[in-house]
Amino acid sequence: MEDLMAARSQMAVSLGFHIVFASIGMAMPFLMAVSHWRWLRTGRTVFRDLTRAWSRGVAIFFAVGAVSGTALSFELGLLWPRFMEQAGPVIGMPFSWEGTAFFLEAIALGLFLYGWNRLPPKVHWGVGLAVGISGVLSGIFVVCANAWMNSPAGFTWLNGRATDIDPWRAMFNPAWKGQSLHMLLAAFAATGFAVGGLHALLLRLKPGSEFHREAFRIALAIGSVAALLQPLSGDRLAKGTARRQPAKLAAMEAHFRTEAGAPLYIGGWPDEEGKRVRYGLPIPRMLSFLAFGDLHAEVQGLEDIPRDQWPPVAPVHAAFQIMVGAGTAMAAVAALFLFLSFRRSVWLDHRRFLTLAAICTPLGFIALEAGWTVTEVGRQPWILYGFMRTCDAVTPMPGLVYPFLAFSLVYLFLALVVGWLLLRHIRAAERDYPSARPEAGHA
Amino acid sequence: MLWVIIPFLGACLLLYCLLAGADFGAGILELFTGREGRREQRHIIDRALGPVWEANHIWLILIVVILFMGFPSVYARVSIQLHLPLTAMLMGVIARGCAFTFRHYDAVQGRSQRPYTFFFVWSSLWTPFCLGVVTGALVPGGLQSGDMLSGAPLPGGIGQGPIGYFEGYVHPWLRPFPLALGLFTVCLFAFLAAVYLIGECPEGPLRRRFARRAAAASAAAVLAGAIVFAAAERDGVGLAKRFASNPWAAGGMLAATALMPALWVCLARERAWPARVLAGTLVALILTAWFAVQFPVLVKMKGGPDLTIFNAHAPAAALDQLGWALLAGAAMILPALAWLLRVFKNEAG
Repeated sequence: MEDLMAARSQMAVSLGFHIVFASIGMAMPFLMAVSHWRWLRTGRTVFRDLTRAWSRGVAIFFAVGAVSGTALSFELGLLWPRFMEQAGPVIGMPFSWEGTAFFLEAIALGLFLYGWNRLPPKVHWGVGLAVGISGVLSGIFVVCANAWMNSPAGFTWLNGRATDIDPWRAMFNPAWKGQSLHMLLAAFAATGFAVGGLHALLLRLKPGSEFHREAFRIALAIGSVAALLQPLSGDRLAKGTARRQPAKLAAMEAHFRTEAGAPLYIGGWPDEEGKRVRYGLPIPRMLSFLAFGDLHAEVQGLEDIPRDQWPPVAPVHAAFQIMVGAGTAMAAVAALFLFLSFRRSVWLDHRRFLTLAAICTPLGFIALEAGWTVTEVGRQPWILYGFMRTCDAVTPMPGLVYPFLAFSLVYLFLALVVGWLLLRHIRAAERDYPSARPEAGHA
Repeated sequence: MLWVIIPFLGACLLLYCLLAGADFGAGILELFTGREGRREQRHIIDRALGPVWEANHIWLILIVVILFMGFPSVYARVSIQLHLPLTAMLMGVIARGCAFTFRHYDAVQGRSQRPYTFFFVWSSLWTPFCLGVVTGALVPGGLQSGDMLSGAPLPGGIGQGPIGYFEGYVHPWLRPFPLALGLFTVCLFAFLAAVYLIGECPEGPLRRRFARRAAAASAAAVLAGAIVFAAAERDGVGLAKRFASNPWAAGGMLAATALMPALWVCLARERAWPARVLAGTLVALILTAWFAVQFPVLVKMKGGPDLTIFNAHAPAAALDQLGWALLAGAAMILPALAWLLRVFKNEAG
């Protein structure tokens, strides 16, 4: 394997692994805070049990997220030292804020997990919420740095070096709002649907369990709100991408020819040589409308972009379709769930609806990973869009395939262990928490 | 702002050693625990580390952030040539954090505890060893000077440039001095852990055992320190001469040596807090001495100008923002950290 490819693969594996744990670390504390609040308010033990059960899961996910995040902060330099050398001073500021936010998050988590009998209940609840807030902040800061790679700002590029730097303008670059919002909603939707789906499955297997019913409703409620808002934020981000990164948008949509009133392709496989989409379903003028809000707007195609600046079209287009497909399905289920909840319908407990929710368990994370594939692969061949190519940033050390293999094996192993631990927690829930037993609902 | 950032870098390093170092040390101590009292000791270590290890560990992230925002060429240079030991260290960081958490949070406390403990103790030893090796590689002109700033190819691959793979990526750290420093770091962290844990135990045999361990580890650290100096002579670093000729370094080492007897008395009497303060002071003195010898060099280079805090820093605009971010961050982190330690470190000791 070529060194550049190995470095890119290692980055992909590390980011793809970390993002799952980071998202859960952002969203899960809010789910816990809702359940915890209801325990303090109603005194129903099911909510205390639920908060405790969730917090034990969060402890595991947070630890794995923390160490894989630490590894990433080193890997940026280990793999892309020449990029980091120029980027560090410009975009280091959000990282330094992220360090602070992450620090506060780790402190708050320690206080929350071990503070059950040591802190006053309200303070304990507040500390739990602080975990979520600082987690969200650190997520925003990191996405700011990534947004800067997509829409560089706050420096002058002179002879291959960043000079005349302005860290504030770099941090609050044109893409930061759109990308952070999209990422936050993705984290909440993915976590809400995954947790809700898992509890739906358990409720389906153990009908009548109050514990799983409450868990399912809290998680899916939060996930649903995020999933319904997500298409709006996605539309906004796509419009920004159309302006700032026409090559990425063209690859996402497999849009080869520059034309006014461009069609949108659903599905299909891009043929890079023939510069057309095979087997896709075209919707006339829709791409022009989605990208610029005008049915007749001209959308730049890949043909107008030098061939050596094309992102890999097929993976970006496929990932984009997967993301949009999964997101649309989630939004539909979310609308149904919110409608049923609003009507207080008995259908919420119906096994068909539970099965539907259970099927949706992985959808959010599939969309999340696909979305990051669009962002990162769609930016290629640039590491810093329009200024520095990825191949010029990679470390000169040969043999990068070995660190790539090492990280991949470690993360594969860890993923298996975490999955196994989760299974053991689920199995032990009935032993540890009386409210999780099926008969508890009828008592 | 350079004069805010440099002390901050030192403080982060010191706090990382004092706090996270002791967390690693606790794992190292478990390695040397016999069958008897193992369960009880593990309980003490779990309780002591559980709430704090994640926070302690973040000093390392702050160090990385300061380096890449404030001294980007240092971060890039170190990342290129010390790729292998840094990757090895990361594997240790990942294994230690995960194994410790899995061990504590596994819903079934059964046979799986053994592999968790295995990974926990060995990665607790491995990670500080790698950290010491990486640090050691920065001191004696081991890194190749090459014009990386302009983007020209560095020491290339095997047979590509004037410098081969071994010379470029292995030799900088695979030498007696960095390896000896790795050993010293391991001993120092084990010593810190043993001293701290005295205060976490109730009166009794376990407390006595940690006090004995602390004394043994301090002796091992002194011995490892001597090996570091010997290895430095062999590598031609001339550490002894540089320590002797620098008043701050010489003073720091003398003061550290003078504190040893007092520390041993505290250990013999199992006085938890005086021993903790003395041990912390000792580490602070050693780091100060090292900073003094190193100052103002961040990375010693072979065949070229060294990277110093004056020639390798980022433009002023970046340093200003970094400095303010660190000050504001510290204003939020330190009270929160004090609260965390107060809640969990109050009952024993």
